[in-house]
Amino acid sequence: MPRQLSFGDAPLRHRQRVWDLPVRLVHWLLAGLIVFSWWSVHNHHTDWHIWSGIAILTLLIFRLLWGFVGSSTARWTGFIRGPRGVVDYLRGRWYGIGHTPLGALSVIAMFLALAVQVGLGLISEDEDGIFTGPLSALVSIDLSDKARDLHEFWFETVILPLVALHLIAIVVYQIRGRNLTRPMLTGDAAMESRAPPMRPGKWWVALICLAVALGIARWVVAGAPGLPH
Amino acid sequence: MRIRFVAAVAVVSLSAAGVAVAALPKNKALAIMHARHEGMEKIGDTNKLLNREFRSGTPFAPAVKSGAATIASLAKQSSGWFPAGTGPEMGKTGAKPEIWQHQKDFAAKLVIFQRAAVAFNAAAASGDMAAAKARYADLGGTCKSCHDSYRSEMHH
Repeated sequence: MPRQLSFGDAPLRHRQRVWDLPVRLVHWLLAGLIVFSWWSVHNHHTDWHIWSGIAILTLLIFRLLWGFVGSSTARWTGFIRGPRGVVDYLRGRWYGIGHTPLGALSVIAMFLALAVQVGLGLISEDEDGIFTGPLSALVSIDLSDKARDLHEFWFETVILPLVALHLIAIVVYQIRGRNLTRPMLTGDAAMESRAPPMRPGKWWVALICLAVALGIARWVVAGAPGLPH
Repeated sequence: MRIRFVAAVAVVSLSAAGVAVAALPKNKALAIMHARHEGMEKIGDTNKLLNREFRSGTPFAPAVKSGAATIASLAKQSSGWFPAGTGPEMGKTGAKPEIWQHQKDFAAKLVIFQRAAVAFNAAAASGDMAAAKARYADLGGTCKSCHDSYRSEMHH
């Protein structure tokens, strides 16, 4: 039985698991790699920048798969809700654990934005043709050069604002009495007792997802052999 | 007192300008910068073509030969691309001021690049694509090592 805590008239809350280890690892690695990608490309470390992008690709593939076979709070079907779900949440009629219907929109936006960014990076090459994304040879020089410009544009106009929105949301929730950072670190949050518990995923399933992600990333690094050049 | 100071400043700046003009007229400096930009851009575009040839796994020898010859010829011309007075103070350029602050190092790097271009051209002309690929990789290394120190980002 989880330890029950009660604070006067406040609803019964108890600490329970909301984020499994893979979700937390992916989250913090992504945060670190996004910062590293930005830093490395602005400091003449384009080679590191490319590897950082490959690492992000690996994490995205892993997270995509884990979203189908992972813990209940990691699953796409577990947190993607329609507009009515979002409205219900805003009116205080949502009692689940994990991503809120509103937060889910942010997750999807971030995931898609990063996927586009990685895709553009893979087919990019630098102005001098010295650094090339692993898939740049699959497209024309013209497209590769356009992809590089778009890669930079996408970061400034989509990724950066999404990161800012993410950080602002954390501050807003903090002001309203909800700490979102600690659960993402420890995995646990104090939840109202009527919330259904998280069904944890299996560790060996996570390992299979990781192996598949690494395999696909390796194939991409090799220039996607088998695809027509 | 004030007039004398102004006059002194005017004389100093005029003579400074005079020295600069004597070294390299502005129109000539700009013409060299333009040629440099076009040449570097051509090297870059050729590099992108070659990169695709080698990464395809089956490089098309005539394309490699022609690309290698283009780069070797431009590399030879590059000796005249960096006279003093063609830095960012003259106009928009990707050439960093460090080029003229560390002239010896820069000149040495330029020679290494030119030698690599000649070696690549020779390997490509021989028709040995494996050797050409190795020399091409060496050449790319010389581009990178120089650009790391002496090329700034330049947006069109």
